[in-house]
Amino acid sequence: MSQNYDVLIIGAGVVGCCLASDLARSGYSVVVVEKANDVATGASKANSGLVHAGYDPKPNTLKARLNLEGNKMYPSLCQRLGVKLKKTGAIVVGNDKGAVDALYERGKQNGLKNLEVLGRDGLLKLCPNLNSDITIGLYAKDAYIVSPYLLTICLAEEAILNGATFLLNDKVKNCKKQGKNFEITAKNTTFTAKYIVNSAGAGYNEVAKVLGSERYKIEFRRGEYYVLDSTESGLTPITVFPLPSAAGKGVLVTPTIDGNILVGPTSYQSDVSTKTTKEGLDDVKQKSSALIEVNLRKAIRQFAGIRAITEGDFTIEKSRKVEGVINLAGICSPGLSSAPAISKYVFSLLGLEYNPSISAKKIKPYFLLKDLNDDQINSLIVKNKSYGRIICKCENITEGDILFALNRPLRVNSIDGVKRRVRAGMGRCQGGFCKLPVAEIIAKHNKISLDDVLKENEGSKLFVSPIRGGKND
Amino acid sequence: MTDVIVIGGGPAGMAAAIESAKNGASTILIERNKELGGILNQCIHNGFGLHYFNEELTGPEFAKRLEKEVKKYKNITVLLNTFVVSIKSGEVVVQNQEGKKKLKTRSIVFATGAREKTPASITLTGTRPEGVLTAGVAQKMVNVYGRLPGKNVVILGSGDIGLIMARRLTYERAKVKAILEINPATSGLRRNILQCVEDYNIPLFYKHTVFEVVGKDRIEGIYYGQVDSNYNPILSTRKFLKCDCLILSVGLVPETDLLPEMKLMRATSGGEVDEYLMTNIPGIFTCGNVLHIHDLVDNVCLESADAGKFASLYAKGKLNTTQPIKVSAGQGVSYVVPAVAYAGEGKFTAKFRLKSKVTKTNVVAKSNGNVLGKKFLLAGVPGEMLTLEVDKSLAKDEIVLEVET
Repeated sequence: MSQNYDVLIIGAGVVGCCLASDLARSGYSVVVVEKANDVATGASKANSGLVHAGYDPKPNTLKARLNLEGNKMYPSLCQRLGVKLKKTGAIVVGNDKGAVDALYERGKQNGLKNLEVLGRDGLLKLCPNLNSDITIGLYAKDAYIVSPYLLTICLAEEAILNGATFLLNDKVKNCKKQGKNFEITAKNTTFTAKYIVNSAGAGYNEVAKVLGSERYKIEFRRGEYYVLDSTESGLTPITVFPLPSAAGKGVLVTPTIDGNILVGPTSYQSDVSTKTTKEGLDDVKQKSSALIEVNLRKAIRQFAGIRAITEGDFTIEKSRKVEGVINLAGICSPGLSSAPAISKYVFSLLGLEYNPSISAKKIKPYFLLKDLNDDQINSLIVKNKSYGRIICKCENITEGDILFALNRPLRVNSIDGVKRRVRAGMGRCQGGFCKLPVAEIIAKHNKISLDDVLKENEGSKLFVSPIRGGKND
Repeated sequence: MTDVIVIGGGPAGMAAAIESAKNGASTILIERNKELGGILNQCIHNGFGLHYFNEELTGPEFAKRLEKEVKKYKNITVLLNTFVVSIKSGEVVVQNQEGKKKLKTRSIVFATGAREKTPASITLTGTRPEGVLTAGVAQKMVNVYGRLPGKNVVILGSGDIGLIMARRLTYERAKVKAILEINPATSGLRRNILQCVEDYNIPLFYKHTVFEVVGKDRIEGIYYGQVDSNYNPILSTRKFLKCDCLILSVGLVPETDLLPEMKLMRATSGGEVDEYLMTNIPGIFTCGNVLHIHDLVDNVCLESADAGKFASLYAKGKLNTTQPIKVSAGQGVSYVVPAVAYAGEGKFTAKFRLKSKVTKTNVVAKSNGNVLGKKFLLAGVPGEMLTLEVDKSLAKDEIVLEVET
């Protein structure tokens, strides 16, 4: 007998996971199908980690409305999940007074309150390292930094705790409408759902093809970034943007919630590959130097993310072709900022009651031993010796921290999955020292062979074969 | 209160602890792994010990010899599975399965070794799949875990660990398709080029590098090609090479992060030390690969024994640090350790590397026109660490090490 769900969500990015949690906590049965081996592996892991204030989107767009609404929801959202959120504020800087004033006006039109135009002296108080060419800027106080992947993971875990089902490494192979219900065939299961939400991000059109719903013209834009060592954290306490252009918000310099500095992104027309390029990274180097002199030799990582863009605005609508399907396409920036508001908006499109129960189950917040005080550290190590063993020496992550991540509602079987949850391998040696010990901990905990531990997705095993003398376990 | 705390239980730390204990100092040796030996434990090839033990040993054998010596001394306490959280003059904070605690000490030897440069540190572009790894991690996979990281391998960089891995993987019937070296010459030892590359007919391309990594979940290949004299890729030479593994051997970085207050030397990224191997922080000594990247573990041990000795003398208040004289690298020399000597009778050993290959020439240490030491080099390459005995009794002013023209 197959399962019956109220809602099928396809794509476990921040929007899909936020919706899954809201639905589950509102009493609906939810299944989430994700093609990757973990949640938050697309645009939700590779972005700037910013909750924008909302001055940037064109007035009267979904982007403008949902950004502002989402921004207001963030403090309670993160508090509920125990996810770190820091109100750093943001400045948009340059030397074109007209452009700054226009941005200020746009922000006002979008309904923002805490906006201010500042001269150089005012800007320097917020960011002492600004380039000497900068004369004027817009200061938005209500901007935050957050870990976009940890947020997504926590939302998924909260959804599971409240009854949602996650099918990872899976895809919808077939979908048939039978009366009011959809009959869905996934890789190894069949189930029914009353509604389907396509939040597949870069894979939207691929999914729409299976569902028979609208396909849109989606443009992919690749953004390349540098991540700097935590030794550079003094570079700026606030997010610094250049004045926006047609290509987007431009190359920015921002602190991250975990104490690094992020520099990027570029905006190149692209396919869905998240490769980095010499041209792109050189571009980041050159553009960031207009804001702040950045020592890119302190980079510990470069990465790229893909933004899926539909022209002009987010595309969030009921399918006209297939009743009961909601299309979420082109959720590029400010998608992270808008996610909780998008979720709420989807409820209204579905005609469902947005009513997350206050008695819904809460997840246990993530924490790291190193963030505790000495007394707490000692008592935790006494209780659980695995906290006494440091595995990732760059980030001071213990075996206990890693086991905590492995004992959560959402299963983890990859090194990158552990890294996103508790930062093992996020430091300057990029897993050189801890990759294999982390793999051992995963194998032992999940009762699998070391040979089956993945870096990220299926096909990313660490080893290709034993040596001639046989492996050594 | 301990006399000397040695941080790091690799060859440098063990050699320092042994010498400190020999001098009668109470010594604590801290190692974060479950056993002493550091990276030697995964270096199962031979070629170690010719200078220090006068016989040829494998890495684990070399480590065991030192460990046996460590265990002879009742005044050495070894703390395994113990991680150093922070260090300052006179105090080391450690964390292990008993909790987090402060250890008081009179002096410290900082011997934390080095880490490998990562793909990010050389801005390797393309995708970021599995199968791209540093030579040390590949070595650990093969020698400790008994598993192969790939069967069709490209090695980027011709550092010694990369060369050793080229041979090791060939033994395991993996195909090493190419070694790419961006420089016009190798930084590896001559013997490794002969014994690990040429003996197995592995193609080594100088002035070549990886332009792009290809592959989503596991690496599928690379685009590579030649670089110009400014190290920029020459795109017309771009070619695809299929592989399931890319190993990076592009250098080591001293692991100095635990001591942010330590003054570093630009050329080495390690501490700036005086002739006693003491850093700018009084009572903190440093040695081994965290001070400067060595060619041979034998040299690491000789240097570290000195650090252990001086740390124990410091603990007893017997180190004279008056009248400092600057020591610097002159023509043809890329760096010299130490950076400071103290005026007076006696000699010290200067360790240095050449900027480029030389033949039949002298290296001299001079101060105010006086020659304080001289050595004839039949042939010298940047890959080898060289030493020179310097008689400091005649030095009044800056001491400069240079290659004679």
